[in-house]
Amino acid sequence: MKFVILIHSTPEPWGHPTGDFVAEHKALPQEQRDDMNAHFDQVLTQLQENGELVGGEALGDPRSSTLFRWADGDPIASDGPYAETKEQFAGFFLIDVADRGRAEEIAFHFAGPGETIELRPTMWPGGDDQ
Amino acid sequence: MTGGSEDVWREHSAEVLAALLRRSGDFGDCEDALQEALLAAAEQWPRDGMPHDPKAWLIRVASRRLLDAHRSTTARERREWAESASAARLLGSRPDLPDAVEHDDTLRMCMLCAHPDLSDASRVALTLRGVAGLTTAQIASCFLVPEATMAQRISRAKATIRASGAPFAPPTQADAVTRLHAVRHVVYLVFTAGHTTAAGDRLVDLDLQLEAIRLAERLHRALPHDPETTGLLALLLIDHARTAARTDAAGDLVPLDEQDRALWDHAAIARGVALVEAALVKGAVGPFQLQAAIAAVHGESTTVAETDWSQITELYRLLLRVAPSAVVRLNLAAAIGMSQGADAGLDELEGLRSDPSLTRGHRVHAVRAHLLERAGRSEEAREAYLRAAGRTQSIPEQRYLNRRAAALER
Repeated sequence: MKFVILIHSTPEPWGHPTGDFVAEHKALPQEQRDDMNAHFDQVLTQLQENGELVGGEALGDPRSSTLFRWADGDPIASDGPYAETKEQFAGFFLIDVADRGRAEEIAFHFAGPGETIELRPTMWPGGDDQ
Repeated sequence: MTGGSEDVWREHSAEVLAALLRRSGDFGDCEDALQEALLAAAEQWPRDGMPHDPKAWLIRVASRRLLDAHRSTTARERREWAESASAARLLGSRPDLPDAVEHDDTLRMCMLCAHPDLSDASRVALTLRGVAGLTTAQIASCFLVPEATMAQRISRAKATIRASGAPFAPPTQADAVTRLHAVRHVVYLVFTAGHTTAAGDRLVDLDLQLEAIRLAERLHRALPHDPETTGLLALLLIDHARTAARTDAAGDLVPLDEQDRALWDHAAIARGVALVEAALVKGAVGPFQLQAAIAAVHGESTTVAETDWSQITELYRLLLRVAPSAVVRLNLAAAIGMSQGADAGLDELEGLRSDPSLTRGHRVHAVRAHLLERAGRSEEAREAYLRAAGRTQSIPEQRYLNRRAAALER
């Protein structure tokens, strides 16, 4: 089963890994931050090695977005982030795992102070009749 | 590579690989040698013509490559190889093993690929690679993941098998029974994976359901008197026979009760029915035979109304006894809804509504929605359909459930 792990975050300035730029994360003692980073690297390496990590991307600054909306029967483009919310969509990972339990286990490792992690199943194009 | 050569290669790959594994013990080395032999075949066969015995040709060429590879390995590796090979020879001569496992290389390949230390995903990938002879790119495309991801999964699986020692040693009798069960499970997983990927929109258009049926046919050839293996083949044949009726022209899901049964492959159904009937009289009833028997009842009915729902209900009760699971209980509730009325089905379902593993998925809500609709409780049915639609991961199923909900709107 495939799931996306969506990273919602507010790095200031915008940067990756987001943890390095999030106030709550930066407030922690250096030793603890190093431990957390090392642990996360280990998790990513493991997911890569066992074939559960399908892919992922870090996203650019939401201020670099261009939005396309429909107005008066035509599309119009405007610059800037989609919403002036505190947390922005900062990046995603796509995983392919045995079941939801395993996906949740993995998603826990992505959580960090000041950030929200969203685990969402992907849809598949096939069907079943029973 | 021409289509003809590829067919030959696919037909023999498991046996060639098995023959190599008798000489070496290393899955990876043997596969490399096999790939090289295939390359040589791709070059020589079109030029010089197909050899009389392609399997023997592939074994001979691959063995030579394997030997070359071994000559270049270190002394330590050579020693390890010799030890594992002699261990395999010793174990290979045990007289108490079932004849079939002893003599059928495809079967032993299947058992190796269904190794107990591997995850289901890895077992499926390795079986498609080692037994069905698919390339890593083809397997990756079937599962809609990048080739690198699938390559990683396969090489990890091989490393796990290597680490377990003497990988191609035949299992003991007791172990063989467990391993055979795992093999059938893997073939079934390949088949159900084929359900989940839509045909036509993939880079390499490979029908996983047909691959699973090929595998089941081979197993059945190796073990013609094993009732569960026969049951597996029957189940896959009957289920696959409904493919053409399962989706409409727009690609939307057509539920069983609305399918045009003239589109079913009735010859395949007849073969499946004959197989499961032959298996059932042998005693030792197992889950695949029971599921095949249920599929057979559907397959032989001309309409939903004339379907023998009491028989299906009884078969689900038996299935629940030999292989209890929440999904089987759910199907039992749906069958009771048909044989004894919607209210009886809803009563049966009540006990399942507190099971978190079920309520999280869409099936329990979908079954409940159908039963509520038949009981005339439209508003509750609509809510249940929407709840189910929000939980399914299948796009056609979601469209279907939303459509049912919309039809109940006043």
